[in-house]
Amino acid sequence: MESRRPRRLVAAWLCLMAAAALALTACSSPETPAAGQPVVLSIGATLEPEGLDPAVVNGAGTPFVLLYNVYETLVRIDGEGAVRPLLARDYSTSDDGTVYTFNLDSSAKFSSGAPVTADAVVESLERARSAENVTSQIKSKMEPVASITAADDDTVEVTLTRPSNQWLYNLAGPAGIIYDPEGMDTLADQPAGSGPFQFEEWQTGQYVKLVQNDDYWGTDTRVDEVFFRYYADPNAMNTAMLSGQLDIISNLTVPQSIDQFSDTDKFTVTEGTTDGEVVLGFNHDNEALAKLPVRQAINHAIDRQALVDAVWGGKGKLIGSMVPPTDPWFEDLSDTYPFDQAKAKALLQEAGYESGLSLRLRVPNTVPYAPTAARFVAAQLAEVGITVQVDELDFASWLKEVYSAGDYDMSIIAHVEPRDISNFANPEYYWHYDNPDFAALIQDADEGPADEQVSLMKDAAQMLADDAAADWLFLLPNLVITTKEVSGLQKNATSLAFDLTTVATNR
Amino acid sequence: MRRANVVVGGTLIAAIVLLVLIGLVWTPFNPTAISGPRLAPPGWPHVLGTDGQGSDIASRIISGAKLALLVGVISVSAAALIGVPVGILAGMSQRWVSAILARGADILYGFPALLLAILFAAAVGGSTWTAVMAIGIATIPVFVRIARAATLQVMSQTFIEAARLSATPPLQVAWRHVLPNIAPVLGVQASVSFGLAILAEAGLSYLGLGSGSDVPTWGRMLREAQNELFNAPLVALWPGLAIAMATMGFNLLGDGLRDLLDPKLREIA
Repeated sequence: MESRRPRRLVAAWLCLMAAAALALTACSSPETPAAGQPVVLSIGATLEPEGLDPAVVNGAGTPFVLLYNVYETLVRIDGEGAVRPLLARDYSTSDDGTVYTFNLDSSAKFSSGAPVTADAVVESLERARSAENVTSQIKSKMEPVASITAADDDTVEVTLTRPSNQWLYNLAGPAGIIYDPEGMDTLADQPAGSGPFQFEEWQTGQYVKLVQNDDYWGTDTRVDEVFFRYYADPNAMNTAMLSGQLDIISNLTVPQSIDQFSDTDKFTVTEGTTDGEVVLGFNHDNEALAKLPVRQAINHAIDRQALVDAVWGGKGKLIGSMVPPTDPWFEDLSDTYPFDQAKAKALLQEAGYESGLSLRLRVPNTVPYAPTAARFVAAQLAEVGITVQVDELDFASWLKEVYSAGDYDMSIIAHVEPRDISNFANPEYYWHYDNPDFAALIQDADEGPADEQVSLMKDAAQMLADDAAADWLFLLPNLVITTKEVSGLQKNATSLAFDLTTVATNR
Repeated sequence: MRRANVVVGGTLIAAIVLLVLIGLVWTPFNPTAISGPRLAPPGWPHVLGTDGQGSDIASRIISGAKLALLVGVISVSAAALIGVPVGILAGMSQRWVSAILARGADILYGFPALLLAILFAAAVGGSTWTAVMAIGIATIPVFVRIARAATLQVMSQTFIEAARLSATPPLQVAWRHVLPNIAPVLGVQASVSFGLAILAEAGLSYLGLGSGSDVPTWGRMLREAQNELFNAPLVALWPGLAIAMATMGFNLLGDGLRDLLDPKLREIA
């Protein structure tokens, strides 16, 4: 017993140190400012950036913080999902749709003070198009581009190899970010953009801090400092919000707990839509899943409304195809395969699987909805005679084994990129969905006249639904919680950005 | 007081074993099926209510007990099978062999089960066996240390001296004289380790490093209940109680046995 005493002392000392550290962080956390003090906003988030250069790192955490806040694009996507001018004062298209001319806003300047010139635009877009370390996702967005030239100081001409209705829209995302040429070599550590905020500090695992850009060329923001604070445990984020440490929860990932914020004297709850389709993806290389009746049977066997109730607190919209409601070609296709177990069994019999079928459902365990949705899917498919083995992987393994190597039968993940329906047109994508008619339709919609795009895209979405190319379980809701004082946030998440340009607080 | 520990611990464990035995042939509902409305309060026919997906909690607790005990039995016996011989060898060997084995055990002891499980999960993916392996390996050094310490004590006894002088082969000394004398300490340690193994398994499933979400485990139930805590706090209570009772049961039994068998053993363990 004697020998234990020092250890206890050490433990007590460690506790004291920990308490001291806690006290320090408590002191340094932003508190309600008095008049004249800087206006500080703390935003709770769950997906931390994996790096600071949006062209080089994958993952939605980086553009979430930086796009439109720190970095700007020639055109942007507004709250309704439409394309609007930003750094470009206006733009025009040639009659054949292959030449875009952008007239830059001559007052636009980077946070360094340097003007946003046509040369800077050319250098930035060239980088997205051809630099070696740029992600394939960014490069694919610039794929239609033939050349980018500066006509004069304020005019940029982009020539496409073919007309593309989608290209301008993509230019409003991370692929179209205009970087300050002077800061181009240090983008990994110090973002250099023209937005209303400047990057100040990133404490890994804790927060990213932005400060107001004092020389912003447009309308100044109404907050001085912004902290994006990251929480591994969404319940801890709720507690932080309830105890007044946060002003905003950027997206509630435990919708079951939304009633905690029902006190309208203290909180405002906004429920909008996102671009995040939670897809039960099929590997079309699997012998059984290659058969339409099997895919239809699975779609009939899952009660999606009950799934949303069980997995996501009843929040979230049933969509029935790969199109979110903020896209102009959205149609509610959620009734294509109503919940019907008898029909599911009949379809399985038709496909020759009346004696049963065994499938591996491999899901990432780091996303909050996937493991519970997997359990629900497994339970419901068991009732129609499909044995599902659930296998959970960490996200890195999921990317390697499922996404890259295609070693799976079914998977569940949200596809959060805007207008990602075109992934189904790529047979190399991890679903291995090979439907030339669909690919042709997507191509026609992109290259054809702009006024036909909507109807062609509607046809494409319908074709996917009819072919049961996947089971679209639900669309993630945009559940934003703010304190009563905060206003000016977008209702629907229409881009990858968490747009702070119009946010304000009146405390 | 000592008796009370054994009785309470033994009763708790007997109850859990009984639950497992019943669960082998019968559960009130299919533990993985959706068998009722979501978050039904305790009542009839769902004695402990239903969880966030509408599955029967009582059935899931029973089914989870099976897995908890299974993981405990396999990991602790595997750890004992490897750790005890190594520990006895260390206790009977020359000083430098003994020191190497003891330091080796110390190094292994430095890796917590959780860290090992994350390592394995990254290498081969999370599964029930990931949990078993991680807990098993993390428990090995515990047995090495305790077996070595107890062996050293036994080796100084005169009957060992006698056996040695009569040229009894070392293996026979270990089997005939050492093992029976250190068995009580090992039994106590096995009971304590069992409790820890159940706790570790719950922790790993809670973190999603154990069995898949289609297998009901206590840890997984706790994790899922956490999201419903605001709407239905009782859902988290049941798996929490089960984990607490099982862990406490084995700990009390271990403590009680230790005190009953020999008060002096406390100094070793």
